[in-house]
Amino acid sequence: MEIKERIIKFIRENFIAGRTDISLASDESLIEAGIMDSTGVLELVEFLESTFNIVIDDEELIPENLETIDNIVRFLKTKAV
Amino acid sequence: MEPYLIHHLLERAALNYPQKTSVFHGSDTATYLEINRLSNRLAHLLMEKGTKRGDRIIIAMENSIASVVAYYAVLKSGCISIEVPDKSTSSEISYFIKDAEADVCILSRMSSRRLKGNIPASTIIELDHIEKDSLIMTELEGMPDTDPDMPIIDLDLASIIYTSGSTGKPKGVMLTHRNVLSNTSSIVSYLGLGPDDRIMVVLPFYYVYGKSLLNTHFMVGASVVINNRFAFPNSVVEDMYNKRVTGFAGVPSTFAILMNRSIFPKRDITSLRYMTQAGGMMAPALTKRIMEAKPGISLFIMYGATEASPRLTFLPPERLPHKLGSAGIPVPNCEITIRDDTGRMLDTYEIGNICARGSNIMQGYWKDSTETAKSLKPWGLVTGDIGYKDNEGFIYITGRKKEMIKVGGERVSPREIEDALIESSMVHEAAVIGVPDEYLSEVPKAYVVPLNPETFNLDELKGFMKKRLSIHKLPRHWQVLRSLPKKASGKIDKEALRV
Repeated sequence: MEIKERIIKFIRENFIAGRTDISLASDESLIEAGIMDSTGVLELVEFLESTFNIVIDDEELIPENLETIDNIVRFLKTKAV
Repeated sequence: MEPYLIHHLLERAALNYPQKTSVFHGSDTATYLEINRLSNRLAHLLMEKGTKRGDRIIIAMENSIASVVAYYAVLKSGCISIEVPDKSTSSEISYFIKDAEADVCILSRMSSRRLKGNIPASTIIELDHIEKDSLIMTELEGMPDTDPDMPIIDLDLASIIYTSGSTGKPKGVMLTHRNVLSNTSSIVSYLGLGPDDRIMVVLPFYYVYGKSLLNTHFMVGASVVINNRFAFPNSVVEDMYNKRVTGFAGVPSTFAILMNRSIFPKRDITSLRYMTQAGGMMAPALTKRIMEAKPGISLFIMYGATEASPRLTFLPPERLPHKLGSAGIPVPNCEITIRDDTGRMLDTYEIGNICARGSNIMQGYWKDSTETAKSLKPWGLVTGDIGYKDNEGFIYITGRKKEMIKVGGERVSPREIEDALIESSMVHEAAVIGVPDEYLSEVPKAYVVPLNPETFNLDELKGFMKKRLSIHKLPRHWQVLRSLPKKASGKIDKEALRV
């Protein structure tokens, strides 16, 4: 499965499953759309670390890396995933 | 004349500090004069739409300059503000509208996208983010920017704040202008706030603790910095540094995230003078770590209740090292006593009900005389928390009588979650309890007994729950059981689940 698809699957299953009032666009803020909150971001980080076998430093918990699906995919590429 | 209505705080600051920036939000800013004029215009618009003194108006907006305008506009129009989480589902908002008999809803662009057309409000006003020197909507342009001067008094209701009740349905805490102003003065006094203060606000204004940050700072002509991006704590820390904030406020989970997963411990924010913590007892180990990491910053541990507008006690920072684990002493103009169920006052170190008297105590629960009678006794508010006082009058909280789960700063009713589980038609019976969580203090854990074990699918149930409840109410832990432990009476034995 493509990286992007795995992330979308995780978000769908963990944050929006069943909700029809939320759409998932890859360039939209997951925070502003009400999909993730602060603990959601930490859950996402845990998922990324275990799934892709990487370490994410506290300094890397920034919107540029994790705010949208596109940002997450771009960030993982810098981690050589 | 001293302010006796909440919006007088804004009007006085607009007179004394017209050009001072009152609210920062990202690159947007607004002066006191701008906020006051916009609030006046919106108040006039509300009145033109037919609102009358005492009408309830729902505000479902994320923190923004526009949400500040909406709050003060509702008060200026003589109406009662009901601020609810902007991420509420349409069924949750529909409940608030119906229960409060509210006709008007003020929504942000984001909440409107989800809610418009799905909620039974006759009038919906959509407020966009305000850009400097521009008006929010064309409709506002035609409205006067002068104070509406509605003839209301400090005994009139200012807010109804919904808080989860033990019966499952949220209860509306009724607070008057006087309740809120009295508590605001007390907080300003013990924090020593002045016009040079600037608070970082990551807590939502619909939460009574978040709202107190706004009113206390407007009372002294200080400034608030809104940052809704605590999901990325480092961006908040940088914002604190760049905006030179003097104060920070959080619930235990805020501090756990700041200390465990952010650059905060390493970043030297020289402007930061103090931090406040409320919204549930913080683990003393975490308090200690904060004190060690930030020795020059005063840390105020506080305790309160929505029913108290909200502050009841604070722990003076200089006493913190010796009184770790205490909720502190009563805030000015508030009396705290420890009593048994009959109202008899208990001695030092005796554990009993924590009760409070003061002009900050609510008028009761909206349309709920039964719950009001349980909470408001001749000897004051029975908080539902239990604890004791030491020989110096410092209060220690040992537990909660009500079994509410405190998820971050939010109170969550197990009953509401259990009701939703049962509503799924996939579950025979269910019990929800709070379990400790490093970041959120507590999170809900659901024990479910499937209706049909052969076809039961837990993921399907989780999907149903996500559709039904806001994110903070969703169980974080699950256990599927064949049956639930019961007491002799047949009631579910929740204590047995905790073992």
